[in-house]
Amino acid sequence: MRKTEVKGRLWILTDLDGELFNDIDTDMIFHNQYLHITDVEEMGQYTLDNLSGWEDFAEKAREGDVIMAGKNFGAGSSRQQAVDCFRALGIVAIVAESFGAIYKRNAINSGLPIVAFPGLTEHADAFETGVEVAVDFETGQLTLKGGETFEAEPFSQVQMDIYQAGDLFAYGKEMGEQQ
Amino acid sequence: MGQTFVEQVLARKAGLEAVVPGQIVTVRPDKLLTHDNTADISSKFRRIGLDKVADPGINVIVLDHVVPAANETYATNHQIIREFVAEQGISAFYDVGEGICHQVLPEKGHAWPGAVIVGSDSHTTTHGAFGAFSAGIGRTEAAAVMATGKIWLRVPESFRIVIDGDMSERVMAKDVILYIIGDLRADGANYCSVEFTGEAVQAMSVASRMVLTNMAAEMGAKNGVVEPDENTRAWLAGRVDHAYEEVHADSDATYERVITYDASEIVPQVAKPHTVDNVAPVTEVAGTPIDQALIGTCTDGRLEDLAAAAEIVRGRQVAPGVRLLVLPASREVLLDAIEQGYVSDLVTAGATLLNPGCGPCLGAHEGCMAPGEATISTANRNFKGRMGSKEAFIYLGSPATVAASALTGVITDPREM
Repeated sequence: MRKTEVKGRLWILTDLDGELFNDIDTDMIFHNQYLHITDVEEMGQYTLDNLSGWEDFAEKAREGDVIMAGKNFGAGSSRQQAVDCFRALGIVAIVAESFGAIYKRNAINSGLPIVAFPGLTEHADAFETGVEVAVDFETGQLTLKGGETFEAEPFSQVQMDIYQAGDLFAYGKEMGEQQ
Repeated sequence: MGQTFVEQVLARKAGLEAVVPGQIVTVRPDKLLTHDNTADISSKFRRIGLDKVADPGINVIVLDHVVPAANETYATNHQIIREFVAEQGISAFYDVGEGICHQVLPEKGHAWPGAVIVGSDSHTTTHGAFGAFSAGIGRTEAAAVMATGKIWLRVPESFRIVIDGDMSERVMAKDVILYIIGDLRADGANYCSVEFTGEAVQAMSVASRMVLTNMAAEMGAKNGVVEPDENTRAWLAGRVDHAYEEVHADSDATYERVITYDASEIVPQVAKPHTVDNVAPVTEVAGTPIDQALIGTCTDGRLEDLAAAAEIVRGRQVAPGVRLLVLPASREVLLDAIEQGYVSDLVTAGATLLNPGCGPCLGAHEGCMAPGEATISTANRNFKGRMGSKEAFIYLGSPATVAASALTGVITDPREM
């Protein structure tokens, strides 16, 4: 079983005005000039390098970190590299107010934990970059190191099943064996 | 209780009496669309460990993103795809020159009312213009559909967007959808099934309806759809050679939102850099200098788009220093445009005619920008760095607005030409 709760150092993606970054699109996450790359390990270094103020994110991020962003994270193209680059960096969860529809599926199918937190913008002041946060995928609860808790959305059943299997392929294989 | 379009389609495909938003269903898609990314998808498919795809009859593969190949890497990808197609016995394969996947797929009869289409491209929403459920998916998922012939889907909530009234002269479907995206914002319809209806939509050609459903992706929609009618049936006649059962939303269906617009109040619109929902009336940005003008793409590269542009440039010349690029969406569109004289009108006026395909829209070739340059384009995305330099600017408008701007060298209201 994979862990259903992760703890990690938090990165709050803010825009140039210091507000939670909304509508971060897949070109900002993983620019189209790198689309020819197919090796996941190679993708990490380019993560967010087209997002204003975050061009050096890949150098600063560490394995086990958690990312937080505003509305519609991963809007735009269906490119899966925008999910895989975070897996390459070892990011353990992405928490956002909402996700782009295709991005959400890509993340779920790749086994990258994403947690939707409607209302995050109202609570944004409670979070800061660098603090430790625990994310419980089963309950959707976020817990700051000081003990303060917030209710985000728990994983859906299919999301948990795919996550536990590893990814969509492994999940499909398990389904096949059960039939 | 009445059901929306998407609830009916997914219930029928899942073999259920009824489904509700939020429910997860597993269905067998009628078609799986992939493009140049089939090279990577086929390698993911091979990693699953199967020899044969579940059903080669559902695969539709169109080479369109970087065609003809711009370098050895792209050429090798195309080669991998051709080998995969031959090995798997996939008949619906369209090589370099046929056109953009979202134009070729319906032209070749792979979209019909009530069909479920998934594709590894975010603008797969386009095929909702034929009354199909059509949505974009990722590469891993496309490989899984190849392997199993099945996909899990969450039944989306539905929006009903009613566009009433008559569109004004020189106002196109692109202006209408840009106006709506500016109003609802980039995540306004996130995960939702968007039904476009109303007098203005009923009066639209199939090509114009494709502009609406194509750009539904830019408001976050899972899918966009237009109810099939006489126009749809006439367009599909001779292309789809089997019977199909149309799906129409019930009049008492439940919608998350019903939003009404009056088309007669909409003027030409432009999306400013660097987001599609950063929309203003053309009058507000008129006079902004441009270096390049692009007419084409899966949004606006159809015959009526070239006709609108040709009408404006006929007998005039593109402004000095402006590069006008024209890319018909498919071979069929190109041939029709030649026959109608539009190609001659455009090229005589100074346009550069490029081959059917995605061209410079995604910044890989055929018209990338240098730092500080600006393009006005009929495409659907103006994200920072999408067409070359990250220091360049992309404005989005209708074919009429782009053609008018190419003549003057600055963003221009097409109603003044």
